[in-house]
Amino acid sequence: MAAPTLDAVLTGLAQDEATGSLRVGKEGTVYYVRGRVSYVECAATPGVEELLGASGRISANGMRHARQEAGPGGDGGALLVDRGVLSRGELEFCVLSATLDAAFFLLTSRTVRTRFRESDAHWLGVHWFFDVPGLLRECARRRARLERAWPSAELDARPVTPLRRIPGTHALLTRLQWELLLSADSTATPVELARRLGRPAYSTLLAVRELAAAGLVVTGETAALPKRTPKPSAQQPTPPREPGRSTSELPQVNGDATDVNLLLRLRDALEAL
Amino acid sequence: MIGIEDCLTEAMSIPGALGAILVDHTSGMAVAGKGIADPGRAAAGLSEAYRATLDGIAMASQETGFRIEDVIVTTGSAYHLVRPMEMMFDGPLLLCVRLDVERSNLALARRRLRTITDELVAS
Repeated sequence: MAAPTLDAVLTGLAQDEATGSLRVGKEGTVYYVRGRVSYVECAATPGVEELLGASGRISANGMRHARQEAGPGGDGGALLVDRGVLSRGELEFCVLSATLDAAFFLLTSRTVRTRFRESDAHWLGVHWFFDVPGLLRECARRRARLERAWPSAELDARPVTPLRRIPGTHALLTRLQWELLLSADSTATPVELARRLGRPAYSTLLAVRELAAAGLVVTGETAALPKRTPKPSAQQPTPPREPGRSTSELPQVNGDATDVNLLLRLRDALEAL
Repeated sequence: MIGIEDCLTEAMSIPGALGAILVDHTSGMAVAGKGIADPGRAAAGLSEAYRATLDGIAMASQETGFRIEDVIVTTGSAYHLVRPMEMMFDGPLLLCVRLDVERSNLALARRRLRTITDELVAS
């Protein structure tokens, strides 16, 4: 008998009104409270701890202390709110954001090795609920949103490389796109950049696809372009362009004899067709 | 200090409020809503409207790094108020309220909306 899919396992736990944690391979964990999902963690995406740490609200040490103090089955989130690290609204949004981000990556996992631990709870406590069908629907909606922004997954796992020069004269950037372009070093992938910046991985992926659509990062298409344009020869450098002159990619007319020869050869070739 | 659900309840208590919804602008997702027939569609539409406003104002404005306080759209029967809240790591989160044009006071509604969002992200 084939192993049940991850979706089927998730739906089954919801129907059983389970409370506890479901480990999905080594990739992450889904926390349930009475059949509803209260939190999702994924190794690839920053969790609430990392998001809060990167925002400078709390140190890694402060977070560790809070976690110890909350203890198993405690409400670490409430503790953080009491300490004034963040407001209740921010905590809820943080949990919601991190959960959907993790779910987006975890639920595409091909791992079917899952292990359920009865009544295991996340140290942050319960601050938002998701029903399983709603969570799956939202993941599908986010995938469709990515496709609308730029219908190719080619950049999702590749290092982000900004173009050295942009094709137009102006570019409009969002804050996240700006941060991404500053941090992109041609070695880090979108998900790695997300971790570095303390931003949700999905938002980063979306921003990279939007940058690709705006023609501001190197894509397979733009990377192939330089090969097609001939390199200027070493002994005959092209004269610097005067400002204000057309910067179109048409070849320059210079009355060089080789050009005439090329034209003759072209004409011959065309006639031979 | 209030949570997400309380924030919607507060928004619905603004005189003339017909519906309120919280939208995650980055993903275009409806976080929570009250008095909204199709939250998914509303969230997608409001998120697009806000993005278009941002881009348009960015092109029209001389200031770099401006912030939108709120967006007000008046239709024949309603005011649509959109107030962005910068979250610490993502966002903004948009609090959108639809108000009956006959029964509401725009100035009062704007002030109430500001108070609510300040309480939601207060720290």
